[in-house]
Amino acid sequence: MVEKLGIPTASIIGSGFLKQAEVITKGLGLPLAIGVYPGAPMVDSEETLRRKVEEDLAPGLLRGLTGESPREAAVEAEPEPGEVIFSGTYDEVQEHFLRKLWTDGLPVVPPTRERVDTFLKFTGREPEEVLRVIPQEGREASIHSIAVTGVLAGCRPEYMPVLVAIVEAMCDPLYRVEDSGSTPGWEPVVIVNGPIVKQLDFNSGQGMMRVGRQANTSIGRFVRMYLRNICGFRIPPGAGDKGSIGQSFLVAMAEDEDSAREMGWPTYAQDRGFRPGENVVTVHSVVAITSPIYSGGDRAEQHVQQWADVIGGSFTYWAHTGFKTGLWSPLIVAGPSIAKVIAGEWTKDQVRQYLYDNLKVTAARTTHHARMTSTPTFSLENLVRDGILPPSYAASSDPQRLLNVIIKPEMVEILVAGDPGRNQSRAYMSNHVQGPPTSRRIELPRDWEQRLARK
Amino acid sequence: MAKARSGNSEGRFDVLWPLSRRAVTGARAAGRLPDLNDKVVCELWDVIFRGETIYPLVREHIKARFPRVKFVGYEEFGNFHGAREHQVTATIPEKLRAHKADAVIVGIGA
Repeated sequence: MVEKLGIPTASIIGSGFLKQAEVITKGLGLPLAIGVYPGAPMVDSEETLRRKVEEDLAPGLLRGLTGESPREAAVEAEPEPGEVIFSGTYDEVQEHFLRKLWTDGLPVVPPTRERVDTFLKFTGREPEEVLRVIPQEGREASIHSIAVTGVLAGCRPEYMPVLVAIVEAMCDPLYRVEDSGSTPGWEPVVIVNGPIVKQLDFNSGQGMMRVGRQANTSIGRFVRMYLRNICGFRIPPGAGDKGSIGQSFLVAMAEDEDSAREMGWPTYAQDRGFRPGENVVTVHSVVAITSPIYSGGDRAEQHVQQWADVIGGSFTYWAHTGFKTGLWSPLIVAGPSIAKVIAGEWTKDQVRQYLYDNLKVTAARTTHHARMTSTPTFSLENLVRDGILPPSYAASSDPQRLLNVIIKPEMVEILVAGDPGRNQSRAYMSNHVQGPPTSRRIELPRDWEQRLARK
Repeated sequence: MAKARSGNSEGRFDVLWPLSRRAVTGARAAGRLPDLNDKVVCELWDVIFRGETIYPLVREHIKARFPRVKFVGYEEFGNFHGAREHQVTATIPEKLRAHKADAVIVGIGA
């Protein structure tokens, strides 16, 4: 950005991030001058760090500012969207896509024109429409690209309205899709609400998060494939995705709205401001998942106390990232039988308040976690001063003071789904401001019912 | 990687390019500054990965070569990668103009 202002700029990049920098350089269409820090600064001694700065990084930065202008990144000519780029048998197509790094390692459905056109018939949008240019590689998130990726991932054509809404959500600047390749390796999960859950045969019950139901599975795969092919996040031998260990794609979630309604709780989509009966997708980052949470008893507190116990044990470590940014959103998937007991006594807001009141971490512990991760200068006092955290986080200087792990009760999200025949819940932690829950209404073609009936 | 079978009876597929157009217009880098003496170098930092130690060392190194270089510290610009990434980023061009920036060091991607 600064270089585009006409000001010579040099960037500090760790050696392990050079391939990602190359991807970003092409996406910006701008050459970058780089000073390289060899290795990982977080694990070097003071002496080693000083030596690396003096011998490698600082001379590189100096060259970047005073030497020759960095050379323009070579950009290869590419085909046009909709162009046939290969003809071959099924196996030859698979090999070609593997070699080009256009697959997730599993076989893909060959994206023929006929298949792609079938998907496009399930949206009223023009194939050329561009929802956003995705920053990482500078590629257009077009309706056509959604259809092609839907075919590749094994979706059915009638999923197209859901796929469009997913990409619209990911294109919201507040979602920060450009941070999808950050080292924590967070993964988006899609949450589906509305009559479309039944119409497209999503699993909202037992085994919801298992691979196995076409709608949940192929839509989850679509998201990862879109991040890879269009957004530019590829693991080696590609580049752009720096998830240090990462995780596999998550199949889509769907709410058991019948159960939610029966117990008198608003649906997840209603919590997010939509009307009952609207078809909605929400995209939500997931950086960590609790163990299954089993809880028993016929009183609300018995169950919510158990949630607090397990969520506290699993997520407190990562809460410092929420403190740095003022946002994180734990998502609780409440088993229907458990939700029914809780809803008999408490509203969802009472659940949120209980978790807010009962999840605590000491200032010393969270500061330690932040400093270990990436931020030696982490300071709760500075975050309060800057208005990112409420004043209570700096109410005293006692390192043993207890802080609320959940910054605001309303950040807790609750979805009713899973096995009604068992007493199990599970919780999913978002990665602070990277991939916060972002929702979009699903736009259906005017003759949706007839189209579905013809399938 | 396994070699693809050919000549089977599965039929052939004409497949479309699976990516999308790059909406990137190339731009040239700004001209470099062979002499940083009497020039203003501004620092942008995302407040991670030991920048509080690294930036002073970089300053020291550059000053050894160009003693009259002036630095404007990262504190002046805010964290461009934190809670207020978009807001902070939007203010950077104006702040760079106000400080009469001749060059910028930005980090840390690691």
